[in-house]
Amino acid sequence: MLQPMTETSMWVEKYRPMKLSSIINQKEIIGSLKSLLKNTAEMPHLMFSGSAGVGKTTTALCLAREILGDHWKDHTLELNASDERGINMVRDRVKKFARFSGLDTKIPFKLIILDEADEMTSDAQTALRRIIEDTARYCRFILIANNISKIIAPLQSRCAVFKFTRISEEDIISHLEEICKKEKIKFDQKGLETIHDYSEGDMRHSINILQATASLGMVNESNVKAASGLTKTNDVGEILSLAIAGKLSDARNKMIELIKVYGMSESDFLKYLNEYAYKIKTTHISEILESIAKYDYRLIIGANPEIQLSALLAELGKIGK
Amino acid sequence: MWSEKYRPKNLLDMIGNEEAKEAIVNWLGKWMKGSKPILLVGPPGIGKTTLATICAKQFGYDLIGLNASDIRNKQRIQEILGPILGNASVLGKPMIFVDEVDGIHGRSDYGGVETLIDILKEPTIPIVLAANGDKSDKMKSIKKATKPIQMRPIPPRLLQFYLESILKKEGVTISLGTIVKLVIQSRGDIRSILNSAQAHVMGFEPQIDKSFVTLDVEETVNSFFKAKSADEARAILFSLRIDPREKIDAFYSSVITSPLEKEDMQKMLEIISEADMLYGKIMKTQEWRLLRYLDSILVGLYKEGTAVRYSQFNLAWPIINRLRWDGKAIKSLVTILSKKMHVSRSDFVTFYFPYVLFCMKNKTLDLELDESGNEIMQKEIDMLK
Repeated sequence: MLQPMTETSMWVEKYRPMKLSSIINQKEIIGSLKSLLKNTAEMPHLMFSGSAGVGKTTTALCLAREILGDHWKDHTLELNASDERGINMVRDRVKKFARFSGLDTKIPFKLIILDEADEMTSDAQTALRRIIEDTARYCRFILIANNISKIIAPLQSRCAVFKFTRISEEDIISHLEEICKKEKIKFDQKGLETIHDYSEGDMRHSINILQATASLGMVNESNVKAASGLTKTNDVGEILSLAIAGKLSDARNKMIELIKVYGMSESDFLKYLNEYAYKIKTTHISEILESIAKYDYRLIIGANPEIQLSALLAELGKIGK
Repeated sequence: MWSEKYRPKNLLDMIGNEEAKEAIVNWLGKWMKGSKPILLVGPPGIGKTTLATICAKQFGYDLIGLNASDIRNKQRIQEILGPILGNASVLGKPMIFVDEVDGIHGRSDYGGVETLIDILKEPTIPIVLAANGDKSDKMKSIKKATKPIQMRPIPPRLLQFYLESILKKEGVTISLGTIVKLVIQSRGDIRSILNSAQAHVMGFEPQIDKSFVTLDVEETVNSFFKAKSADEARAILFSLRIDPREKIDAFYSSVITSPLEKEDMQKMLEIISEADMLYGKIMKTQEWRLLRYLDSILVGLYKEGTAVRYSQFNLAWPIINRLRWDGKAIKSLVTILSKKMHVSRSDFVTFYFPYVLFCMKNKTLDLELDESGNEIMQKEIDMLK
């Protein structure tokens, strides 16, 4: 009876805003973007920064739709720096994409959305600067980054920078409510609040939890608890605990599964490891963080990430004693 | 050093590999612009370099020797070979010999191998390459552009006969038993047998025994950890002349799978981590001269009586299999789905994939995947607690 219908898409996609005006909680940014759109030909390159799930990618996609019209997908290149192998790959793809220019006179320019630009090394960013200049006649870039301080200054200065703020609890909850109503899911307030707490203000994560919870029936606190906490960041937490307990082999096997079977990036792994260091009960927090920092550095310098991360896990085992 | 003193001066002095000798003589004798370069393939110490040197001399060529470190990047090759290839007549009659081509390490994006192959395709002067093996991937393209000639280890009888003739010239004797032992140990490597024999005669065997050169990785890693002293370990390490990446990884897989005390494991991994950093720096800067410090880092792994033994793989089989099969299936699935959701693969597996599985398990979501996609999803769902 309460069983919802079988869905063929993820709600994050189904309920992703299609128009700039329906984007939640970034009023100032949307306002200034709209004024930029009055004269699209003059639009500068853009840079969106802000934490996960606040609408950066969504805004970029909305812009693409509004500038390029129905066939926006044909004139938009979406790249994710953390997926591309090196700057050469980016350069090749941009080149290929930019080459077929001027065929369609109805569009002002082609759009290149480069997500997670802050995952690129500073060398790669320097190379990107060149790429942006070389293609400026036909292409506009939207660079997206979680952490703008990791973007080199010359890149920042080439873009109009928009800093996205966190979405408030109220806005997240009212958006979740709206989805529940459309999907005809029963919910209570406590359930939605719990979702917000788990997701830490990340809209896409909230919607994923909501969909998982709804697969159990009603959205209440107990169902949310059963459905949330599934993210692979928890596996990172387990790995940290295993490593500190000196169970190197178990920790390493799990880490390798996470990275090599599922494909979590090494830098994300270290990011979550760092976050979990604050969550576990320990009197050795500073040593743990120091080790993580040490091997994060070695990971950048070194050639085989697995060696560096295994050595890190072994060193964490020494701290635990 | 006997191995230098008795290095053959002409083709007749060389023992073994008659067919290879004949092939290269025929090739060089009939050489003209555009003739395919030669690739000599065979284990160390059987006379590849000697053969090339002698042939060049007998046919009146000036041999220009290069080794792997010269062809690591495009720029370096062009610096060295540009003037020779473009302007051959000024420099007399040049012939190029590239030793250890299978030792070209480094990534393809530095263009070393490509540039070499370009040159091989349109040779304006005779080129001879030498390699220990031709089975690796990078050798495939080189093999295509050349005419491979196999060289074999010297047969034991011939080696014994040769050694006895040298001993006679030196006026020394070694017991027959030792001769047989040296012959077996050398595995058909002339250079090695001369070095060992000389060492034996002069009484400084077998500490820096060059026959380690012919040991394979497994034996070398094991003898490194079984060495009686750090000096011996250092000598063994030095003799392991393989790609530095393979060297570091061989020690990594051996250490990580050995039953060690926590402290020892941690110390050793830290050393390997340092070695990997050095290698990473070399790759990024292309400063190959830094490679000489690799062994001095790795020698820190030596500890008397340690339990480390060689292992080719650094994981248990079940995980290797999961990595190979499930990992591949998940990767192709995640690549598609992450594009659809406009997130990176890493973000997709972290924040989306578990929820997708959860909804699929509760039969509220069907992403309309293809058969192989559904198969791997079902497998993952079954693994959920």
